[in-house]
Amino acid sequence: MAQLQDLPDELQLATAAHVQYIQSLDSRKDEYEYWLTEHLRLNGVYWGFTALHLLKKPEALPRDATIDFVLSCQHENGGFGAAPGHDAHMLYTVSAVQILALIDAFDELEKRGKGKAAVGKFIADLQNRETGTFAGDEWGEEDTRFLYGAFNALSLMGLLHLVDVNKAVDHIKACANFDGGYGLTPGAESHSGQIFTCLAALSIVGRMESVEADKLGKWLSERQLPNGGLNGRPEKQEDVCYSWWVLSSLAMIDRTHWIDRNALFGFILRCQDTEKGGISDRPGNMVDVWHTLFGLTGLSLLGYPGLDDIDPVYCLPKSTTERILGPKK
Amino acid sequence: MASVARTNRSRTEEQRQQDLDKIQKYRDLDDQIQHHVKRSNYGDPALFQLTTKLLRLNPEYYTIWNTVGWVMALEGVAEYFSERHYETVLRRLLAFALGGDPARPRDVPAGASGTTPDEKEGGNTTTNLNDSGAPKEEADGDEKADLAADTAIIQAELAFTIPLLIEFPKCYWIWGYRSFLLSVCDAILPAGAARDFWVAELALDSKMLTKDRRNFHAWSYRRFIVSALESGAKNDGGNTAKSMTESEFAYTYSMIKVDLSNFSAWHNRSKLAPRLLDERGADDAARKEFLDQELELAREGLNVGPEDQSLWYYHQFLMDQIIALGVDGKDAKADGLIAPNLSLADRREFVDREVAEIKDLLEDYADVKLIYEALLEYAMAYRALGESDAADAANQDEMMSWLAKLKELDPLRRGRWDDLEKSLKA
Repeated sequence: MAQLQDLPDELQLATAAHVQYIQSLDSRKDEYEYWLTEHLRLNGVYWGFTALHLLKKPEALPRDATIDFVLSCQHENGGFGAAPGHDAHMLYTVSAVQILALIDAFDELEKRGKGKAAVGKFIADLQNRETGTFAGDEWGEEDTRFLYGAFNALSLMGLLHLVDVNKAVDHIKACANFDGGYGLTPGAESHSGQIFTCLAALSIVGRMESVEADKLGKWLSERQLPNGGLNGRPEKQEDVCYSWWVLSSLAMIDRTHWIDRNALFGFILRCQDTEKGGISDRPGNMVDVWHTLFGLTGLSLLGYPGLDDIDPVYCLPKSTTERILGPKK
Repeated sequence: MASVARTNRSRTEEQRQQDLDKIQKYRDLDDQIQHHVKRSNYGDPALFQLTTKLLRLNPEYYTIWNTVGWVMALEGVAEYFSERHYETVLRRLLAFALGGDPARPRDVPAGASGTTPDEKEGGNTTTNLNDSGAPKEEADGDEKADLAADTAIIQAELAFTIPLLIEFPKCYWIWGYRSFLLSVCDAILPAGAARDFWVAELALDSKMLTKDRRNFHAWSYRRFIVSALESGAKNDGGNTAKSMTESEFAYTYSMIKVDLSNFSAWHNRSKLAPRLLDERGADDAARKEFLDQELELAREGLNVGPEDQSLWYYHQFLMDQIIALGVDGKDAKADGLIAPNLSLADRREFVDREVAEIKDLLEDYADVKLIYEALLEYAMAYRALGESDAADAANQDEMMSWLAKLKELDPLRRGRWDDLEKSLKA
């Protein structure tokens, strides 16, 4: 880590500013954007809270009020919406489970919410029992994001037995491409985001045997561009969020050393707003909590000093997944 | 999330007041919709208008799309797919709702307010509908009028989402809503009329792909539409599937011609190629010829753009077709390969020639690292095809020199080259 100290001041992590930025997110109710992004609220809480944990400031958001808010998003059918009054959907249900896992509050789900069993049933009912994949909600859109989300949340709750794991694994295999990557449905182009969801789903159920690690590792490592940032597909622009999708995928196949760590550090840190906090997609752009989290997870995965360790499979602190699932081999 | 340049985040008091006004208007709409939804008041035409207004402000608000879907499906999704009852209810309800909504076009006039020619295609659909002589049983006058009303409603809904799609081409919910509308077409329109909607949708998709050639929503949607159009149900209404592989394969070429870097098009081409050959009933000679032509296509691109990863990935896909067969042709899943019966001699010849051609590239592009990567890759493959030990030894020196070049040209991936070095020396 010696080289890190050589980074100039503007390339140091602005921890205090980031904490403040995340804390300020829920006090922006006089901004139009706050309301336009209400459909992401529960995701936003997960992104912000996880970021704070990585920054080792878990107490910077109120635990009790967070639990109240999470539970207020739950529907009778067990699923969660983005905010009270928003429809239940896989994406928010997974965020809800992740938040409750993060702040060790599954017991509150039993006491005051509809309980784990109902959440598990909501998720399991979204599996397509013919193809093994999952829909996001009753309207039926299917892609590997939802399959991963289902495995993530169900395994955290110890309820994976509710779904047909073998069929789901077969579906992931059907999404594989000649370049070693995965697309969002069978036939779709390899995309770093989908590669993450497929690899992580396979990791959760210990079924990595079909992954072509060398081929995939080559493809993933080619995502790093001369400026140090990573793109999501060939011949596309870099974006901080791929620091997570690409890097976590490389971590799952033990090849993070196939890209240049310091170059990526530099890119992510140049995307910080060092004054007002937060991280953007590219240097000089508006920050948001999504890029803030995925910038931090990227730094954490590469061992940036002072950050808590992130679990590349669950996108939760390792301390959280180890508490719930036991230590990784 | 669209990227926006970072600006000073402070607002003037006036700007703040403007924001507050916008918020008030937005939340008001939201409250009114929730008020209806809480009372399951889906039949009130005002609800439909409110959703239109809110979705124009925020098409990412998925719950509102669901509300529109509920309005359409009314009291239950199950009934929607199975009951004729739905048809009448939908018609009555939507005709009524649209009648009271001046914001939505009742018809889709050519060149109307929208920004794309897609709306014109919508207009054509109407013409086609009239010409197509819908295969449904003879309808009486009332039913014909009902059908025309349904068609107009669906068209108006599709037209409503076009400006939104153009502004938010990566919004999952808009694409999802359009596919929902297509399923409504299938449920309530005669097969021929429904098919016309799907055909028009493919044209819209092509338009979206000219605006953003890599949009993976549009590429996925394209495969979804094509596979529906190919199904028996969409053709003679029975069991005869009608393949679109030839035209889709040609489409990838047209996209590649415009932009060699379009890996999405190359990807789709790789998926279509094996199917194309099967459907052509290609024999071994034709398959070999095809492989040859495709390699040439990739190489032509590489001659002018050896820094383009898209071209190399496609080239690699083709080489995999040859290499995957292994020495005795048995260790591969020959299934789905372009030329499963290539002889070992043929395969060596192919690899030999490609390697020679790629080496030639170095004369003009000595500092392009992707060339060295490919050379190493294919040299290793050549070994797998059972070259003699002597040739191997000569090859080893060459491979180490390429590797040295890679380390020099591509320090970002140093760790990968170190691993490769270890495996080459092992």
